[in-house]
Amino acid sequence: MGKYVLKRIGFMLIVMVILSILMFLIYNLLPSNRAYTDARADMTTMKQQLRGKSDAEKELVFQERYKEYQRLYGTDTKNMAIRYLRWIGVYPKYYGNYDGLLQGNFGYSYELKDTVLNVVKEPMKNTIFINIFAMVAALAITIPLGIVCSTHKGSKGDQAVQVITIVGYSLPSFIICIVFIWVFCSLLGWFPPSGMKTPGSNYTGWKWFVDRMYYLALPLISMTFMSMGGMTRYVRASMIDALSLDCIRTARAKGVKEKTVIYSHAWRNALIPVVTLVVGWFIGIFGGSIVFENMFGLNGMGKLMIQSLRTADCDVIILLQLFYVAVSLIGNLVIDLVYGLVDPRIRVSA
Amino acid sequence: MKKRGFFATVGNWFKRAFFGGSKELADASMDVEEIVSPIKQIWRGFLERKLAVAAACVVIAMFLIVFIGPFFMPKYYDSYTEVTQKNVPPTSSMLSVPRAMKNQVRCIDSYGSFTVGVSDEGETFVWGTTKLGTTGIDIGKIPEEVKNDKIAIAAAGIDHIVAVSEAGKVYTWGHGGLGQFGYFDPAKYPNIISEPEELMNGTIDVSNIRKLTCGYQCSAILMNDGTLYLWGNKNTYQNIEKFIGRDDLIDIDFTLNYIVGLTEAGNQIVTGTRGLYDQYRGNINEKPLPSREYLAGRKIIAIYGTSNNVCAELDDGSLCFAGDFPSNSIPMPALHAGEKFLEVCSGTYHYTGLTSEGRVLSWGGNTLDQTLVPEGMTDVEKIYAGAFQSYAVNSNHELVGKWGLKGYFFGTDTYGADIFQRIIQGGKMTMTIGAVAVIISSIIGIIVGCISGYFGGKVDLLLMRVTEIFAAIPFLPFAMILSSIMAQSDISENKKIYLLMVILGVLTWTGLARMVRGQVLAARENEYVVAAKAMGVKEFTIAFKHILPNIISIIFVSLTLDFATCMLTESSLSYLGFGVTYPRPTWGNMLSGANNATIIKNFWWQWVFTSLFLAITCICINIVGDTLRDVMDPKSDRDK
Repeated sequence: MGKYVLKRIGFMLIVMVILSILMFLIYNLLPSNRAYTDARADMTTMKQQLRGKSDAEKELVFQERYKEYQRLYGTDTKNMAIRYLRWIGVYPKYYGNYDGLLQGNFGYSYELKDTVLNVVKEPMKNTIFINIFAMVAALAITIPLGIVCSTHKGSKGDQAVQVITIVGYSLPSFIICIVFIWVFCSLLGWFPPSGMKTPGSNYTGWKWFVDRMYYLALPLISMTFMSMGGMTRYVRASMIDALSLDCIRTARAKGVKEKTVIYSHAWRNALIPVVTLVVGWFIGIFGGSIVFENMFGLNGMGKLMIQSLRTADCDVIILLQLFYVAVSLIGNLVIDLVYGLVDPRIRVSA
Repeated sequence: MKKRGFFATVGNWFKRAFFGGSKELADASMDVEEIVSPIKQIWRGFLERKLAVAAACVVIAMFLIVFIGPFFMPKYYDSYTEVTQKNVPPTSSMLSVPRAMKNQVRCIDSYGSFTVGVSDEGETFVWGTTKLGTTGIDIGKIPEEVKNDKIAIAAAGIDHIVAVSEAGKVYTWGHGGLGQFGYFDPAKYPNIISEPEELMNGTIDVSNIRKLTCGYQCSAILMNDGTLYLWGNKNTYQNIEKFIGRDDLIDIDFTLNYIVGLTEAGNQIVTGTRGLYDQYRGNINEKPLPSREYLAGRKIIAIYGTSNNVCAELDDGSLCFAGDFPSNSIPMPALHAGEKFLEVCSGTYHYTGLTSEGRVLSWGGNTLDQTLVPEGMTDVEKIYAGAFQSYAVNSNHELVGKWGLKGYFFGTDTYGADIFQRIIQGGKMTMTIGAVAVIISSIIGIIVGCISGYFGGKVDLLLMRVTEIFAAIPFLPFAMILSSIMAQSDISENKKIYLLMVILGVLTWTGLARMVRGQVLAARENEYVVAAKAMGVKEFTIAFKHILPNIISIIFVSLTLDFATCMLTESSLSYLGFGVTYPRPTWGNMLSGANNATIIKNFWWQWVFTSLFLAITCICINIVGDTLRDVMDPKSDRDK
């Protein structure tokens, strides 16, 4: 088991490196040149000192500043490999210092005038909270629902659930958002349509929490609803498969209580495909919450991502992207490991 | 009796063709068990499920609508905007003149999406779209005092109505927040010219009114003695101040951005702006000449303004035009010898004229069918035109003809474009992108899966690792970045769409590749593969020619479901602004306006119809795919 985990982690790191190279190359396609903008900004602040000098002299000063900044940021070479290694922090910059991701330098956001780490902190907290909450809520609803549907297969209720869920998973998330805003904000007026807290309020403690949940209620409801469709169908399908196993017939023949048959015997068998789906879907909703955050005006990573893409705020984009990649890789690792936990037949050491 | 029998038989044929035979027939044929091919079996199983058959019919219908529909919309173009038709709800009432005034028309006028009319009895009517945007004002609610008074003449602006009673009292209603009517303190509202004091409190002599006309948010009343009452929002008409206080005009009208006037001298159109409307032409498709050269001593006696051009009536009875005409304008029809125009009216883009021979002609802009004059109108004595509609009235003041824009089936968007047309054009784009992306992803997926599954070993290991790397790429964020890089580079709009298809395809093939690999792995052990090997068939041929056809049905199901996914992904991307962008419509970016509660509530038609089309298409595709998968799976029980 230990060897297997190490092997998986090793492979994960390799993939991470490959993807980071890929991404680094892609980000260098973005039309933004930090050294150049900084040098230009310096020129405007130095206007007083440069008064009376000729254009050629000014150009000389500018070139000097430009070169200085390039050296500082490690972009003084055209060699992409060196630049990449400097960005990671394993190759020295012009002055011999190491200053990259490994040293904890994640970059600087030009739009928000702060280090990327500070910029990302709050949205990341929000996004993780929203996603985990939605996932727990969705699981708490879909698993019992799926099991009940599978045991009452073909009944009126089951057919209704089947139709509703196919609608649920065929709709794009933004349509669900629009419909929910229309129903709950415009028609019923129960929830606020957007925002994270009452404007101008400064609550603390319990009051803060209640206010926040009031504002997050609608996004959470729509995210949960969005996730329910596919999950319910999947739980139902794997339960039906599990219920047709021979061991179930044997258990029933022995006179085991129906509840025990369903929740202990069948559900254990149905769990394996469900686990795969849950983790895979967890990865998916991190990407999918971009739409929800944008729609409901939540201060999350998706919104930050769109904002940074619009303003070409490179350092922020690349860190967010790495975060998404990391979530998905860790998710894949978790799938593999959890397999071993839920299904003793699988030899994870293989 | 015989007839019904015939229809029942035909009905049964269709029933049997689409939903399978009746129970008795099925039982009868079950006596001898026949051997059917897998495809045939799948086909039969599919036909047994009515929901799936219905869904398949809907999908096919959608395809036909979006791919054939555009051929019936020759006038459509992507960047169409119409400022006077913004946010119009679904309606077909723009031409429906109330019955009470059909036989006694005194005057009709319109500018935007509603029309005001006055009957001979002095009663006022409003029809068309009467709810004004998000303001909550219903202009169709005619004030009590207007109902009780006898109205002589009325005119409509974009969101207000001005009516003058027979006693000379001026009534105004509608949206008044931007200077359309009422008093505004000049110190507080420097960009508004208030309604003149004497109109608000006093009366004017109705018989002396030469012209009452309304523009975007402005109104003008011109008296026979040259007195001009002009008020409204300065922002909408740049040259409004040059007309304030003038008393030498004999005619006045509004184009979209300018006020145009005419003096007694009649040698030019007065705009107060140099170089505007000073070149004339005899017809829309002729070359313009400088005013003095064209007029050559003739005098202009009346002017009629549309959005971007002006028609001038000369004292020799001919018409000439100044300003720009879009290239798709219909030229003025040729008159017979000796025929002349008795009357001319102007709408937003079109002109309607009545000739001395009693013919009614329409020309100018025809984007919304304004110039399609109905045949067979007789005894026309008076014509009215406004916005996109025209009306013809006979000598008894009875309405004998009406033509032009009836309304919009699905309403209009924030740019004033017809949502129905954009849904069809957008559907074409969405479906094309989805289909091409699926084809790209399936080509990659099938090749990788087949090679990996059939050859196994190191090739398999390598390809599966590559697949894992691609699968680890978070889809939506990555696609957003690629398309934002694309948007910032200067490649043509068409190429961007092709690249978008490629991006979608390249990022979605991993699932299919894994599935194909699994299927090939299972099929590899079959006897027919062993036989082929024994016969010395090449490995490559076995993989692609022997195994692939055997798993093609499963691939096909996966493609169906992937197609829906790709459509949804494209819509999400376009919705967020990172896919196809305005003015090109797709079902995703048509919804991007609906992102706040106000629009969602007030302009429901801007998202409901598009969402329905997208949702119904995706749901039906998913139902078809799911059913196919169920039918193909030998484990799934059919007895439910």
